[in-house]
Amino acid sequence: MRRRKPRIVEQLWAVVRYELLWNIRKKKFIGMLMAAFAITTLTLALPVILRNMSNMPIESNPDYVISSSGIGGLMIFLFALVTVMNSISGEFESGTIVPLLTKPISRTLILVGKVVAAFITISAAYTLLYVYIVIGGIAIYGPQNNLNLIPLCVLGDLLSTFVWMSIILAIGSLTKNTVLTAVTAVIIFLAMNMGASIISVFTESAWILHYFPGNGATGYLKIPGQTTTYTVGGISTGTDNITKMIIQYILHPSANVTYIKVELGGRPQGIPLKEIYSEQLSLVLFRSIAVAIAYISALIFLTWYALKRAQILE
Amino acid sequence: MELAVETTDLTKKYGTLVAVNKLNLKVKSGTIHGFLGPNGAGKTTTIKILVGLLKPDGGRAVVLGEEVQGDNPKARLKIGYMPELPKFPRHLKGWELLDIYGQMYGVPIQERRVRIRRLMEMVGLKGRENDLIGEYSKGMQQRLGIAQALLSEPELVILDEPSLGLDPVGMVEIREIIREVARGGVTVFLSSHLLSEVEQICTHISVIHRGTRLAEGPLREVISKISGSAVLEVEIAEPPDNAIEVIKSLPFISSVLVEGNKLVIETNADEDVRAQISRAITEAGGTIIYMNMKMKSLEEAFMRLIMKAR
Repeated sequence: MRRRKPRIVEQLWAVVRYELLWNIRKKKFIGMLMAAFAITTLTLALPVILRNMSNMPIESNPDYVISSSGIGGLMIFLFALVTVMNSISGEFESGTIVPLLTKPISRTLILVGKVVAAFITISAAYTLLYVYIVIGGIAIYGPQNNLNLIPLCVLGDLLSTFVWMSIILAIGSLTKNTVLTAVTAVIIFLAMNMGASIISVFTESAWILHYFPGNGATGYLKIPGQTTTYTVGGISTGTDNITKMIIQYILHPSANVTYIKVELGGRPQGIPLKEIYSEQLSLVLFRSIAVAIAYISALIFLTWYALKRAQILE
Repeated sequence: MELAVETTDLTKKYGTLVAVNKLNLKVKSGTIHGFLGPNGAGKTTTIKILVGLLKPDGGRAVVLGEEVQGDNPKARLKIGYMPELPKFPRHLKGWELLDIYGQMYGVPIQERRVRIRRLMEMVGLKGRENDLIGEYSKGMQQRLGIAQALLSEPELVILDEPSLGLDPVGMVEIREIIREVARGGVTVFLSSHLLSEVEQICTHISVIHRGTRLAEGPLREVISKISGSAVLEVEIAEPPDNAIEVIKSLPFISSVLVEGNKLVIETNADEDVRAQISRAITEAGGTIIYMNMKMKSLEEAFMRLIMKAR
């Protein structure tokens, strides 16, 4: 019997469908999306409620949307977690990997399909969220500037999310255990965030953080013509915060980032702060993007290697 | 005859345990081949190597002319496989799963629709296509397992314990499906604990124990080699003295036991030899009052083989 050889695109689409249908029916994912919308609603509505209570009018702010862009580290991590935490390990645990791997499709293509499905799922979720923020922002604060940058915000947040996704996928592929994957990922996330804050604020080694995923070192933006105070307006320079850096870079291409350190037991008056060093924002941003891409590539490769070598005993 | 599956010195170890030990299997195309062995004999491990889930540590396995060494999608294109107690994603509907799997085999969309409808009806899941697999019972998942194994119209169907978890009606239906599939020229390779089931549907068998082959060949041939093929009970009016000698001299007789007027004759022929025995007795001057033939069962042969190997 003559048999038509399946085309790669056709097989890839089959895996994407398989995974997408799973993603959109996952209670965890639906819950996360609802939580994200609830938080966004709260962020939008809270100032309105507070101002109403104190009879203050709401002033129009054409930069509201663009200044609040960037979904934020925790939300990025949680979206990554709920989308891919069981996408490989869950298949091993439930045994559904057996019928899947015995189809005439390579394991490489299965992984590519899963990653593409995660990309589509997260892109859709973030697009919805940004549309909601834009509509809410316009309704409350009037017409908004720089809305053409919104697609870049979605892309930036996607890149940030993919760093965590590749970390979670790699752990899942190595451990083949969803609980272990989730716990390890949460520990890494907390360690990165707490570690980053401590290193960034109290030591002079903030530069180490440039090469780790997550929050990264906290710096202060120095925009020419504007005064910078070190008490407000700190900017995280890690892979979680690519969107904010992209927006700042586009709006202020010649801005610098200054890293500071709190000197314990230093000057008796005021907050004892010491400038460590400054870098151009462009450098900080592109290094962050490069680090994100490096992590994603290395970890997806590790995931692929573990999946390719996996033997299905049960 | 062409071989659908051939393994040569196939070996698989789990640490120090040798699950499959220099196994040599030959499964002829167009047969229903039963794969038997006690628990832990290495049946599932062997099957997993054939479908690319495990990588052998030694020897080789060729399936439909393709060498299988781990992940080789091309080798799986012509194989339909149902794992033991198959598990499918609970979040998919029955038809969605088959549609996605069909797409992986490169079955065009219109053809997929036709096949899914036909297969769902065949395995008794008609009307449940739009339900989530998470709502299926174990038996229904088993039926879906059969459907997905046949979806690509494979040349070789590998079924690992296809009747496990099915009720008696389901078991009969599955047997009928297997026969139907084989009538279309498809090779069926199935492992089963149910020896009566194997005896009813298989044309050929392989018996393995501790990862090594103990016996292989056409079903009746294997049985008769191990325990003789049949036992005939013959009652004769007045047994002439020379009748027993004449019967004993027939080439297909293993033993003759005399209990008064009754003879218990054990044969090792593959075919029905009642006519030859009856003629021999009559020619020796005897009159047959009663004759009954009992074929040796697979269970008997299997037990004898395994006990001997232990």
